[in-house]
Amino acid sequence: MINKRIIRVLTLISFLFVSLIGYLTYFQLTRGEDILQSPYNKRQWEYDDTVKRGSFLDRNGKVLAYSQDGKRFYSFGALYSHVIGYNSNIYGRTMLEARFNKLLLGRRELTEVFNLNIDSKTGYDLTLTVDHALQSYAANRLGGKNGSVVAINPKTGEVLALVSKPDFDPNEDALIKNWNDLTEDEQSPLLARATSGLYPPGSTFKIITTTAALENGLAAETFDDIGSVTIGGAVFENFGKKANGVIDLKKAFALSSNFAYCTLGAKLGSGRMGSAAERFGFNKSFDFDIDMNQSKFPMNDTDEAGSAALAIGQGKLLATPVHMALAACAVANDGVIMKPYLVAYATNASGGRVYEVRQQQLYRAMSAENAAKIKDMMVETVKSGTATASVIRGVTVAGKTGTSENELLNQMKDKEHAWYVCFAPAEDPQIAVAVMLEYSGGSGGGLCAPIARDILRQYFKK
Amino acid sequence: MKVSMLKRPVIMLVLVNVLAFVLLYSYRMPPSANTLLIGASILTLSAATYLMISRNHLGDEYLFLIVSMLVTIGVAMLCRIKYALGIAQVGWYLIGICVFYAAYAAMRYVGLWRRLKWAYAGMSALLFAATLAFGVTINGSRNWIILGGHSFQPSEVIKILFVFFIACCYGQPKTERRGKISVKYIVTGVTYVFMLFLIMQREWGMTLLFFATYLVLTYIYENDKLLLLGNVLLTSVVGLVGYHALWHIRIRIASWINPWADISNTGYQITQSLFAIASGGFFGKGIGLGNPEFIPEVHSDFIFSAICEEMGILGGVAVILLYFIFVYRGVKIALMLPEGFEKCVAVGLTVLFGIQTFMILGGVVKLIPLTGITLPFVSYGGSSLVTSFVSLGILQAISAKRRLAGD
Repeated sequence: MINKRIIRVLTLISFLFVSLIGYLTYFQLTRGEDILQSPYNKRQWEYDDTVKRGSFLDRNGKVLAYSQDGKRFYSFGALYSHVIGYNSNIYGRTMLEARFNKLLLGRRELTEVFNLNIDSKTGYDLTLTVDHALQSYAANRLGGKNGSVVAINPKTGEVLALVSKPDFDPNEDALIKNWNDLTEDEQSPLLARATSGLYPPGSTFKIITTTAALENGLAAETFDDIGSVTIGGAVFENFGKKANGVIDLKKAFALSSNFAYCTLGAKLGSGRMGSAAERFGFNKSFDFDIDMNQSKFPMNDTDEAGSAALAIGQGKLLATPVHMALAACAVANDGVIMKPYLVAYATNASGGRVYEVRQQQLYRAMSAENAAKIKDMMVETVKSGTATASVIRGVTVAGKTGTSENELLNQMKDKEHAWYVCFAPAEDPQIAVAVMLEYSGGSGGGLCAPIARDILRQYFKK
Repeated sequence: MKVSMLKRPVIMLVLVNVLAFVLLYSYRMPPSANTLLIGASILTLSAATYLMISRNHLGDEYLFLIVSMLVTIGVAMLCRIKYALGIAQVGWYLIGICVFYAAYAAMRYVGLWRRLKWAYAGMSALLFAATLAFGVTINGSRNWIILGGHSFQPSEVIKILFVFFIACCYGQPKTERRGKISVKYIVTGVTYVFMLFLIMQREWGMTLLFFATYLVLTYIYENDKLLLLGNVLLTSVVGLVGYHALWHIRIRIASWINPWADISNTGYQITQSLFAIASGGFFGKGIGLGNPEFIPEVHSDFIFSAICEEMGILGGVAVILLYFIFVYRGVKIALMLPEGFEKCVAVGLTVLFGIQTFMILGGVVKLIPLTGITLPFVSYGGSSLVTSFVSLGILQAISAKRRLAGD
C-alpha cells in the first residue's frame, strides 16, 4: 500500500517536471521572440551599442535612415514615419525598425544558433521597394489633408509608395520633444492610416460586388435608374440623387449607380458578396512587413437592406487603404493579388545579399475573364464616368471612385471619406494607386482622382 | 573495452567538465589558468568520490554522479557570472564532500537516529528561536545567522531535522506506537508550529516546501483523507487571508500573473529572467556570451535562467532531467526498503528535494509564483550546498544498507 502511494507521488513529481519542460518549450516557441523584442530587454540595447545598425535605402539606393555614433537618423523626417517607424531607446521600435530588427543588427537564424557572427560589428542594410521620388511627391500632393496614398506594382507586389497623414518626426530628439503632443493629439498622428486605418470603402467596393455579380450570372442585368430605391424599408440614393435612366452593368459601374448596385446587392445577398470579399482577403490577415489591421466584411448581415448597403461599401464594412489598393491590383493582374512587400533585400557590408524576398501570389480573387470585364468597366469609368478627372493623355487609366458615409456624418455635414483606386496603363498595368482622404467632405471623383492622376503622371514621367 | 568505457556515465561527467571549463578558459579575457584549475579540482573531487563509492560498494553509484554533474554545471556558471563565487563554491564543494562522508558514516553505523524524535523537534525549535533572536535580514527574509564571518541559513538544516522527525513518527510500526494522541496529529501540530516560525521569518518558499512535504508524507503513511482535505482547506483560507492582509504575497502573485505591469519594480526580477531565457533560444548563446548579469540574484535563486541563456532551453531541459533521475533513484531506493524509519527518511528527503526543485524552477520560468529558495546543488551558497550533501550522504547510506540486506 505504502509503495503504491510512493509510486503515485513519483508520478506526480514526474508530471511536474514534464510540465516544466513543456512550459519552457511552449514559452520559447510562442512568446520567446516577442519577449526578446521588448524595449525593456537590456540585451538588445547592449547588443545595439556594439553593432552599427543597418540603414534603410529606397529602391534606387537613396539613404532613408542610418545610424551614426549609436544614434538613429531619419534623412527625410516625417516622410517615412509610417513605413520605417522609429528606433528609440526610450519609446522602443515600431514598423520596419521593429519587424526587421534582427537583420538590421546583422543577425540571422542560423548564425544565431551557431554564434557565427560574434565579431561582425555592422548590421545588414535593407533596400525597400519604395521609390523615394514617388513617396515624397505623394506626400507633398496630399499636403495638410488627413489620409493615405498607396502605390503598388500589381504584377510583383512591390509597394512603391506608402503615405499616411498626419505623420510625425521619428528622430529621437523630436520624439522626446513632441511625445506628449503626439499621444494626445486628436488627429492621432501616430496612427498609420494606410495599414491600420479602417474605413468604409464606399463605392470602391463595387469592384468586389461586380465580381460577385459576374460569378452569379447577373452580368446581363439592366436597370431603370430613377435616382433612388427603397429596399427592405431603407432608402438608398445615388450621389446627388441623379437619375441615370436605363443602364447596363458596365454603365452602372462607370456612373457608380447606387440604384443598380443596391438592387444587385439585395439579389446577391451578403453570403455571395461575402464569399467574393473573402477571396479578396476580407476577414483574413496576411503577413505584411508592417502590421495590418484586418479588413472586415460582416458575414451575418443577411437581411435585404443590409445586403444592399454592403453592395455599395457601406454598413459595417471596413477596409484599410492598402487593402483597397490590393483590390485594384487584383483587377490589374488578371485576378491574382501578389503578396505586397516593402523590404526587397538585405545586404551585408561587402554588398552580398543575405536575405531576399521571393515574390508570391497572395490570393486568387477572381478569374482572368472577370478581371478583364471589370478592367473594361474601370476604363469606362475614367473615360466617361465618375473619374474623368484622372484622365492622362497617352496613358489609359482604369479607376473606381468612392465616397463613403461614416459615423461623423450623423452629427455634421461634409464629413464623407473620399476614395479613389486606379491602375495604369490598362493594357499592361505597372502601378496601382489608392488614394483615401478621411472626413474630407468631398467626392472621390472630385478630390482623390486628381491626386491619383498627378501621382501616375509623376510615375510615368521618369 | 573502449566502447564500454565510453558508455559509462562517468565519461559524460568528464566531457561536460572539460568542455565547460575549456570554453570558459577561452572566453574569459584575459585567459586565466585558474579556470582550468577550478575545473580540474572539481573533476578530481568528483572522480575520487565516485571511485570511492563504486570500488567499496558504498551503495547507489548514480546518486553521486548526478549530483556531481549538477555541481559541475553550477560551478561553471558561477565562474562565468562572478569568478570569486565560483572559487568559493569549489571550497563549499570540498566541505560538502567531507560532510557527505560524515553523514554517510553516521547514518550507516549509528543506530539511534530513529529514537531521537523530540530531539529533532527541540533542535529545530532552538534554531528557529535563534534565528528570530539573532537573525539578520537578507533579501527581505529574516532567515540568516552570521556565525564567525559566515552567514548561514538555519532553515536549510531544519529541513533535514523535519524529515527525520516525521520519519520517527510515521516510520514507527503501528504496533509499537504508544501514547494517547495519534502520531498524525502530533506531526500536524509540529508542522504548523514550524510553518508559523517560517512565516514570522518571511520565508514563504520554505513554508510552502515544509507544508508540501508534510502533505505528501501524510498521504503516503496515513489513511486519513479527511485530515488531508482539512489541511488543504485550512491553508487555502489562511492563504486567502494572507493574500489580502500581506502585500508581500499580493505582490508575488501580481508579478506572477502580469510582471510586465510593473516591470521596473516588482516585476523586474522575473522579467529579467524571462529575457534571459528567451534570448538563449533552444541552443543557448554559449558560455560567456550572454548577459546573465542583468538578472538580480542570478547566482542563487535565478541560476537556472543563466543556464538557459547560455546553454539554451535544451541545456535547461538536461538539468531538469538530471533532477528527475535523481528523484527517480531516491524513490527507487525507498521502494526497495522494508517499511520503517529509513524508508520514510528516503521518501521524505527525495520528495523534499523534488518539490524544492520544482518550486524554484517553476518560479524562474513563471510557471508558478516565485518563491525565493535555492536550486539544490547548483545555486551558490554554503548552507544550501552543505546541507544538500548531508541529505545525499544520508540517502547514500540508506541505499548501502538496502544493498547489504538485498545481497
